Amino acid sequence: MSGVLAGSVWPFVIVVIPLLIGLVPLVPAWRGVALWLLAVAPLPAFGFALMGAPGASDLPDLLLGVVLGMAPGGAILIFGMVAAVWAVAGLHVALTFPPDQKSAILAGFWCLTLSGNLAVFLAQDIVTFYVAFAAVSLAAWFIVVHQRTDRALHAGRIYIVLAVLGEAALLVGLVMGASAADSLRIEDVRAALPGAPSSMLVVGLLVAGFGLKAGLVPLHVWLPLAHPAAPVPGSAVLSGAIVKAGVIGMILFLPAGSDWASIVIWTGAFGAFAAALWGLTQADPKAILAYSTVSQMGVILALVAMGVQGAGYYAMHHGFAKGALFLLVGVMAAAPGKGARRAALVAAALAALSVAGLPLSGGALAKAAAKAEMDREAALVLTATGVSTTLLLVWFLKTVARGAVAHKPGPFRMLFASAAALVAAAWLVPWAFWGGQTGLALYYPLGAAPLYEAGWPLLVGSALAMILLRGWLPSFPAGDLLNLLPRPPRLPALPVPARLPALERLRTRLGEVIDVARDLEAVMRHWPRAGLMMVGVGAALLASLSFG
Amino acid sequence: MTAALPLLILMTSLVPAVLGFFVAQESHVLRNTLNLGGALLKLGLIVAMLVAVAGGASYESEVPLAPGLVLLLRVDALALLFVSLSATLWLLTTLYAIRYFGAKAELSRFFGFFSLCVAATTGIALSGSLISFFIFFELLTLSTWPLVAHKQDGASLRAARVYLAYALPGSVALLWAIIWLESSTGPVLFTEPPDLSVLDPNALRAIFVLFILGLGVKAAVIPLHGWLPTAMAAPAPVSALLHAVAVVKAGAFGMVRIIYDVFGSEQMVALGLSVPLAALASATILWGSIRALQQDEIKKRLAFSTVSQVSYILLGAALASPLAMIGGLVHLVHQGLMKITLFFCAGIYDEQAGIKRIEELDGMGARMPWTSACFSLGAMGMIGLPPLAGFVSKFYLALGGIEAGAPWVLGVLAGSTLLNAAYFLPLLHRLWFRPARADAGGSEAAPALILPAVVTAAGSLGVGLLAASDLSPLGWANLIVMRDYVP
Repeated sequence: MSGVLAGSVWPFVIVVIPLLIGLVPLVPAWRGVALWLLAVAPLPAFGFALMGAPGASDLPDLLLGVVLGMAPGGAILIFGMVAAVWAVAGLHVALTFPPDQKSAILAGFWCLTLSGNLAVFLAQDIVTFYVAFAAVSLAAWFIVVHQRTDRALHAGRIYIVLAVLGEAALLVGLVMGASAADSLRIEDVRAALPGAPSSMLVVGLLVAGFGLKAGLVPLHVWLPLAHPAAPVPGSAVLSGAIVKAGVIGMILFLPAGSDWASIVIWTGAFGAFAAALWGLTQADPKAILAYSTVSQMGVILALVAMGVQGAGYYAMHHGFAKGALFLLVGVMAAAPGKGARRAALVAAALAALSVAGLPLSGGALAKAAAKAEMDREAALVLTATGVSTTLLLVWFLKTVARGAVAHKPGPFRMLFASAAALVAAAWLVPWAFWGGQTGLALYYPLGAAPLYEAGWPLLVGSALAMILLRGWLPSFPAGDLLNLLPRPPRLPALPVPARLPALERLRTRLGEVIDVARDLEAVMRHWPRAGLMMVGVGAALLASLSFG
Repeated sequence: MTAALPLLILMTSLVPAVLGFFVAQESHVLRNTLNLGGALLKLGLIVAMLVAVAGGASYESEVPLAPGLVLLLRVDALALLFVSLSATLWLLTTLYAIRYFGAKAELSRFFGFFSLCVAATTGIALSGSLISFFIFFELLTLSTWPLVAHKQDGASLRAARVYLAYALPGSVALLWAIIWLESSTGPVLFTEPPDLSVLDPNALRAIFVLFILGLGVKAAVIPLHGWLPTAMAAPAPVSALLHAVAVVKAGAFGMVRIIYDVFGSEQMVALGLSVPLAALASATILWGSIRALQQDEIKKRLAFSTVSQVSYILLGAALASPLAMIGGLVHLVHQGLMKITLFFCAGIYDEQAGIKRIEELDGMGARMPWTSACFSLGAMGMIGLPPLAGFVSKFYLALGGIEAGAPWVLGVLAGSTLLNAAYFLPLLHRLWFRPARADAGGSEAAPALILPAVVTAAGSLGVGLLAASDLSPLGWANLIVMRDYVP
């Protein structure tokens, strides 16, 4: 037996700290403190990322031998962003949630989810990775259902069923990969995947598992239900940080140039546009943002599948901006006066502009960095997503601006300042990593061509929004952009009906199968028959041998 | 001294059993001292042996019973795996049972047979020859009957009758197999694989099938599992022990012995028996899960879950690849820890709140947080959620399935995982998320009742979390397979 821990202690410590903090709310008297600790729990991880994530922890006795160290590529960028979004969202929980039992339950699973979310970027072996992925996936259910409304519980049901299916697919895929590699190390499995026996199946299972988490169309159906159903800080971590667990999975395991990579590229690109357009049918600001997430994840996953190194850089920006947008929905609802509300709206507009790719914003840099690695046609498609994104986010701003002023005293300043900090991060942090990411000069985004490329989709998108508005305003009440689309206004806003007829049919069929099984069991339980069958099974086993 | 050690371990259970029958019903202190003392002494002996056997030692005791009939007790790594599980869980179940029964009637009879049952299990684990194995196997059958019938009401007596109706024909099959085999090869010792070439392959296959039938009744392999759900009429500590260590595990352990030490896994593969046996195990795994889904009673659901989970052990042995063997062996311990937790908790729900049916669990999480937390851990382990024990077993079985060239095992395991989730997650949802029923009663149980459940629940987390440690059940299973069974 070697030592309990070899190498650096820090990667292990930053994952364990949230777990320990998650135990604090078990003591009722400590609940108030526990909520504040949510803002603290991700800070060690954030500091670790700032230091460049040095070292690896080797814990040979834990699980099947745990190795924790930062994943290669753009993982560290996403990791730092994830820690920051969790910290700010944790602060929002502490500021807005009462220290009651319900919040205590949320706090405990919040920490478990956070720990898993951090560990997926650090795991060096598939068992640790799977454990982390299961934690982030399953514990997040408690964030989705926190409000216990019918809507939240319905979303939670769909979420948990798909999450468990995703876990099963992932486990089978990872086991087959490990067997092909004859190793549990992620790098070995990754190398063995293209040549693994029935590689198509193995990679397909992995793509299904990660795609479910990341909201890859058509596996995204849970996302627009679950993200808006969660409380505001929960939506922020779900859309900003947790979906990125699927992204890192794809980065680590999807072999570049495989058939599945092509499929992910095409479905991702399709989803980027389709989800944005579908989002226009939504009335709830958080649902609109959820569709925006599906759209942006389509872009990110397509970039990952193309092997674009800038995918992590792009995902980092999206996490900051989308986390900020969700939090600002809550900030606006808590605004004590018109001025405060306007300030929050401006901040939301700035974040939205960055996602759409306004020149010189972080989003523009993220797109420019990705385009630098792509051929002309693909780059054009990426540029074009700016049009649909602009359209969707204009609709979001319109919708969210409609709410009323809360007129209640609250911790507005802290809420606003922390969310605004995320907006600032979305705008500025990409500048800090620009040179390291692209190798291009810092003034490159100021050139005419990048400005034009970043600018035109925004102009077209805005113009399109104006035209659509003008064209339909006469016949429909103002402000109801739902009517913009050539769809009858009677259709329900949510895309997934409460009961899927196909699912109902499946349930009936399953019932029939179960009935048959019950009858069969009764037959088997009858002892004389069981005795006969015992002889029969023996005979059958013997008979089967004569062929064997 | 060392030659007497295996016998001494057996005596730590046998002596309390025999003396226990003569303790007066009122002498609680004497009876408890006898049982707990025996259990503690046994555990101490086993820890000492674990250390010695890890270093390469083995121990043997011979007890001549009749001319030509020698009871051979032998401690090897595989025996220790089973015996340390049974000793640990015996101690915990005794603690639980003392509090569970309180001052109810017929306690001396109960604890007497209870200890006898454990003694039989220990004997099965330590048996060094086929005939010794058979003797203890039958002792187990007979000592379990009074435990199942303990309540002496209609359901219990019926359950006990059904149990015998299944078990005795199984014994006949087992005895037939042993006589057939030994009449050709002479007495079979587990240390020296018998020379099977004297028998023709078809005779060997027939003997193998007879073994599987005889042991399959206890291991609850379909379609021989009917007695197990019926036996749920027994008191909770009996169900706990039956499902986790005693009866079903004796069957599974017996199969492992027969496959590894009598036939040898290579011989089994050469005879073409590996795939049919793995298919039988897989069918049992899926069938048990499907049936569990349909049960409304907690204990019935757990019973069918046992039918399903015990066949993981058989699946591992049948696949005959080193990783699958490790996965099956380690599940012997893992399933024991998880399932006994679930039964302890089911007993507490029944005792404290009169809860027998699943829908009555609504909102009990808040009322009985410790019990419910343990139950949740056990259930999540059964589903195979990492890092709990069940995950480790499934992971090794899955790797082993591929290694053995049987990738379809992955489908079986994935299906079983999903079915497990389907029949356990709704329970957890009821416990923690439904409002309590208007007529719900019950409060948290006494520490003596909860402590065993907490220990086993923590155990099922610990053995998964520290699986890679040399001291974990996985480490031990690894040692057994790599040292004793991989050429």
